[in-house]
Amino acid sequence: MNSKSYPNRLGIKGWVYAGRYSFERYLYLAHRLSGLGLVAYLVLHVLETGNRMRGEAAWAGLMALFASPPFKVIEYLLFAAAVFHAMNGVRLLLTELGFFLGKPSEPIYPYSTSIKRHRPLTYLIMALAGLIMALGGSSLFLP
Amino acid sequence: MRETRLWSLYLLVIPIIFVLLALHFAVMHYSPVFYGMSDEEARNFNTMIERGRSVAQLVLYILLLATSLYHGLYGLRGIIRELPLSAPLAKLTDVGIVLFGLFIFFFGAYVTWWTFSFKIGG
Repeated sequence: MNSKSYPNRLGIKGWVYAGRYSFERYLYLAHRLSGLGLVAYLVLHVLETGNRMRGEAAWAGLMALFASPPFKVIEYLLFAAAVFHAMNGVRLLLTELGFFLGKPSEPIYPYSTSIKRHRPLTYLIMALAGLIMALGGSSLFLP
Repeated sequence: MRETRLWSLYLLVIPIIFVLLALHFAVMHYSPVFYGMSDEEARNFNTMIERGRSVAQLVLYILLLATSLYHGLYGLRGIIRELPLSAPLAKLTDVGIVLFGLFIFFFGAYVTWWTFSFKIGG
């Protein structure tokens, strides 16, 4: 948080690319983007729900708009973003609390880093997220 | 210490959001799967009002609103504060985000209360 101690010289550029990024770094970027999208949606959603105070006709009109195909796609993207953000968040929580990182060891080549030890779990969680997204999509789009 | 508390709260609200958001999705977006009710029925004005008149819905929605706004806006603050901002600008960001969050929270809470106290046919 203290920008005087740790200057972020790259600014926003550094969020996107600052060297040879690993899989986890791209997950970090996707986590940010999905988080920003979800915050923007949350605010719009709260404001949009206020439309009910304008009466039944106004509400019905809005719901008809949301039932149209473009909004179905947007709804699915929102669902996918929420699933990704939640599943990757579980991975981050586990990392934050020190689970599945393995024990510290001597740095002997070939190195075994905590990220590498953590990676099978990362793949598992992402596969699970993909499965939930596919199931969610099937119940939204299939008759 | 203050930052640690804010960060801890940011993590602590996650399980609450997880459960309440899953409920919200089940009711509003997956009603054909969980309630045997079409999306149109679930989003119908009268059904929505009927649902909103329960105390459980009132409490859970205000809780979901508060926790998700806190989590989302604290995350946004973290992203913005990573940028090389001057101290006054950083302070302005904090104050702006808090005020914005309070505005959205009170608006959302008012809408939830309005639904709760809605008199059908009245």
